[in-house]
Amino acid sequence: MFESLVKRLLQGEFICEVTDEAGFQYLQDQENLFQIEDYLQRINYRLASTQNKLAFYAAYMEIDNTARQDIRKIFQQFRLELHPVVEWLDMMMACLKQDTSLSPGDTLALSSLLQVIENNQALADRLQAFAKFKDFTSNEDSVKGRLEKLLNTLHKWGYLQLANRDTLIYQVTGKLDYFYQSLQFIQENEEIPVEQGEEEQTQENLF
Amino acid sequence: MNKTQGLARLFKALANHSELIEKAYYEGVIYKDSKNQRALNQLKQMKVLVGHGVDGYRISGRLGQFVDSALSSDRLRRLDTDLASWVDTLEQQILLYQGAWDENRINDAENYSAEIERVIFELADNLEENTSYLLMLINSRFANVRTLQEKKKQNEFYISRVELLVQAISSLRPEYLLEMVDDHPALYLLLEEQLMRLLPIYHQRLQDILDKLKTFLFELRKIEARAQLVQGFSFFLRQNPGYEMQDWTEQDNLPEQWNQIKPLQLSISANTQDYAVETELVNIVQKLRVDSDALLTKKRKQKINKVAVVDREIQVMELPLYRKWLRRYFYLLEQQQGHAVSALSFQKKYVHDIEPALWLGCVLNEWLRQQQRHTNIKMEFIQFASHAAFTGNKKVKDIVLCWRSE
Repeated sequence: MFESLVKRLLQGEFICEVTDEAGFQYLQDQENLFQIEDYLQRINYRLASTQNKLAFYAAYMEIDNTARQDIRKIFQQFRLELHPVVEWLDMMMACLKQDTSLSPGDTLALSSLLQVIENNQALADRLQAFAKFKDFTSNEDSVKGRLEKLLNTLHKWGYLQLANRDTLIYQVTGKLDYFYQSLQFIQENEEIPVEQGEEEQTQENLF
Repeated sequence: MNKTQGLARLFKALANHSELIEKAYYEGVIYKDSKNQRALNQLKQMKVLVGHGVDGYRISGRLGQFVDSALSSDRLRRLDTDLASWVDTLEQQILLYQGAWDENRINDAENYSAEIERVIFELADNLEENTSYLLMLINSRFANVRTLQEKKKQNEFYISRVELLVQAISSLRPEYLLEMVDDHPALYLLLEEQLMRLLPIYHQRLQDILDKLKTFLFELRKIEARAQLVQGFSFFLRQNPGYEMQDWTEQDNLPEQWNQIKPLQLSISANTQDYAVETELVNIVQKLRVDSDALLTKKRKQKINKVAVVDREIQVMELPLYRKWLRRYFYLLEQQQGHAVSALSFQKKYVHDIEPALWLGCVLNEWLRQQQRHTNIKMEFIQFASHAAFTGNKKVKDIVLCWRSE
């Protein structure tokens, strides 16, 4: 277990209960955790975890110029993911009619989502709008094709894991905990106005 | 980006692309091409322009309204938010347009059609904004309060907003409106594309709003804070499609969550000196497909084909007639540098075998072809006066070319 976990961490993977249940349980044991941390430290890395400890990943121990360059590349990918992932999370709440956003471990069945979206023009329109994002353009012109593309890309980005290949049931991974943490950080530090008041909406003039 | 920077960026974009904005304002629509695509996208992100059809952009309703008032335009201005009364206005304007059209009052008809266009755009913009904003509020705020007093206040607010929207959407009678403009294809298309096609989406949003209202009208609910964050962020991104997050990796103290390693590519090779794994390696090698048979097969000698030299008669292809005349026409232009020569007058004088329309087509093609090599020839269209509103068509009756003098 030690060997496979170290390899996966070095390959930049997030280890959570969904992507690697045995590995995640292994890391719950303090002794094992120390061993992994000790090994990573020898090569100037360290073990990091998301805010709610739902996923583990490898981070740099010291951030020198080379490390900063590498981090910049990872960050650029996150920038690319921000808009479509937020849109996906919001859309899933509308599809599932929930007052909670998706959490690691939640399941999404392609067939159920398809049924909801096909019967709701506004949701179908939102799904179609994903085509404006890089990595979401699809040659398929059907709702099913677009939905498959959406879930496949999120799977490729590590936010979803295919739990059942036959019934196409996906499971949300621990990487989403990392995403929420980053979203919260951006909102607080860039002062994004996410609180909308319930007063009469009076749009002011442009000038 | 703070508000001051945002404003500075907006003003800069308005100044830099004033020609595009002017065109969109006066002509109603501007189409993207390879040169203006980037600028049009930027203006759309800043909500100066909005999408119009597949490749077109129009000026946003509010900016159009501002320009109208700034230029003291005599266009009709409606500053109230009573959407339903806008629908009445739309119907009245269509009737006025039809009257002007029937009585052949071209100027009046053009003014009314411009007004109809503006009312349609404003209605579409307002319905889009109002339905999406209310749905977002319903999803992220409604019933998420502590006291019944607050709940009561909320109910009143939401019900009044929904009523306004329902009135506006119900007063839009698609069949009736489309029937009114049945004889005016440009108006028909505009109504269909900008308003009617979007009605099912507005209907659906209203239905979703109603479902939530029904469920939580007398109940309190607890909306997860994280869900509010996602909904609020999503709405912010829809309102600000050009938003780009700051580059946090430039900070001296890198925020913890961005510290993540670059994935390493791991690969291994077999140690052939290690006798302990010899048997396993042999087994692996034996399983590999060997294509040596194919490699060892003797290659067949290729036959050499004899090649005989055959004298072929050289055929001289005669230039088509139209090319001969084009050559003469462009030669004349070059000879008479600085003098404009009408393509049609040339045709009338020399080219009797080619129809005028066909000849103009040939001249235009040749001019375009020559443009790729040099830009010495200036071209000017002579158009027929335009009568039909909104067709966007230009009818050319002559082309005048002039070889620029050096």
